[in-house]
Amino acid sequence: MGDHSSASYIHMVQHLIEKCLTFHMSKEGCMEALSKHAKIDPVITSTVWNELEKENKEFFESYSKSKNEEDRMSEAETSELIQKLISDSSKDSKE
Amino acid sequence: MQMLVASSSSLRDTATKSDDNPETIESGMDEFSDCFSAGSLLDSIDFDELFAGLDGDPDALPDLEILGDYSISGGTGDDRGQSSDDGNDAVSGSPFGSGSGLDAGSVCSPGEVVVDKAGDMDVKKDGPEGHFGKVKKSAASAGKAGRSKARGSDGNRKVKVDWTPELHKRFVQAVEQLGEKAVPSRILEIMGTDGLTRHNIASHLQKYRSHRKHLIAREAEAASWNQRRHMYGGARGGGMGKRVAVSPWLLPTIGFPPAMSGPMHHHPTVRPLHVWGHPSGDPSQTNTMWPKHILPHQLRPPHLHPRPVWAPPHLPYGQSQGMPCYPPPPQRFMAPPVPGIPHHAMYKTDPRAAAAGPATILHPPLDSSPSNESIDAALEDVLAKPWLPLPIGLKAPAIDTVVGELQRQGVPQIPPS
Repeated sequence: MGDHSSASYIHMVQHLIEKCLTFHMSKEGCMEALSKHAKIDPVITSTVWNELEKENKEFFESYSKSKNEEDRMSEAETSELIQKLISDSSKDSKE
Repeated sequence: MQMLVASSSSLRDTATKSDDNPETIESGMDEFSDCFSAGSLLDSIDFDELFAGLDGDPDALPDLEILGDYSISGGTGDDRGQSSDDGNDAVSGSPFGSGSGLDAGSVCSPGEVVVDKAGDMDVKKDGPEGHFGKVKKSAASAGKAGRSKARGSDGNRKVKVDWTPELHKRFVQAVEQLGEKAVPSRILEIMGTDGLTRHNIASHLQKYRSHRKHLIAREAEAASWNQRRHMYGGARGGGMGKRVAVSPWLLPTIGFPPAMSGPMHHHPTVRPLHVWGHPSGDPSQTNTMWPKHILPHQLRPPHLHPRPVWAPPHLPYGQSQGMPCYPPPPQRFMAPPVPGIPHHAMYKTDPRAAAAGPATILHPPLDSSPSNESIDAALEDVLAKPWLPLPIGLKAPAIDTVVGELQRQGVPQIPPS
């Protein structure tokens, strides 16, 4: 295990994690995705994630905040849409 | 100024070169005697001797170190040895390297200085001189590295470092490689660039870090804002079309700096996210890339236009693999070519959804699990093309730290065999 291969491996994991971040995935989601698609041990993913979080606290704080909002919003959004559907469909049935 | 006054005896005494001509130095430069008021003293200097080794190099100047110690006996008041900061104004072209201000080693001829007898330049007399000596020695390689330095043309000791894109890239690579240990002295070691001082690195590092911090905080903010705006936009129902402009899966403001020019101006509502990172290879952006990035951000998050704020992602921070800079090939999910252009690929269903009306309820992006295929594709992209820049460009943790932590977790070796 040369220094360079560890470094580049970790870099790769970071890269993969960042991709997951652009999908706004959670840490667990990320661990799963990397394990499934890239055969990366979830422990590794989790460790690299944690270290990234330490180095980029502000980013991750904001990230989890917006993630929470997103989850909440999607619930609200969902219910709103359903409401709309109900009212629309009742309109349709009349025609 | 007529400076070269020295008595032959002093010449011998203080000469640091062993091969000095022990004989009385004859004046061979009668034609120059006009320039000097202390002609008699000049007579005692054999300029032929001095310049003997410099044939073929019209710009070469002799190492004047040996003369530097000469007290000016009865002549002009300059003590050349000490007046190191007079500037080398008198030097150019003059074969005498006219004394004042021209210290040993601080020759002003551009580029190389061929100093024959000097051999090694005894420029260690005082600190600043040492630096100049170093500058000269590496002058030959200056061009290669693209560094532009004050070629000894001014008397002060600070050599201005031109942070070219290439140099900066090496800097960033070194920083990334060192992780937590990215201290100037180590960075300097890794970069192995002549002519860079620890001080240069230190100040560059400071600027770099402060900018990145700023940038990352902004990105994170932008991410949350963008998400929120997307949600609001979608919930309106009639906003289906609007949503086309924002990818729900992506955090479009992350990681991609806008191009330095047009887009920022045309979208006043767009907040440029600068990645203080690698050059793009675009010649128009080569110089002083990072100062541009220091531009204050134009907007606060609440005004963030719902459209993607980004430009060609060819200025990512995370390019640490030594590959030359180039615009990455279009990444399926990540790269609108121009800011503001909606990302059509992601929204195949939307127009249909709009047309179909209420039939479509939930779009996959609304919930927190984006489609598996797109994730898979994105990850495979990374695996297949490891040289691609990091999409976000987060600060990398130190390798040692990660390895250590992994070992604690029971992963002894990475990559796992």
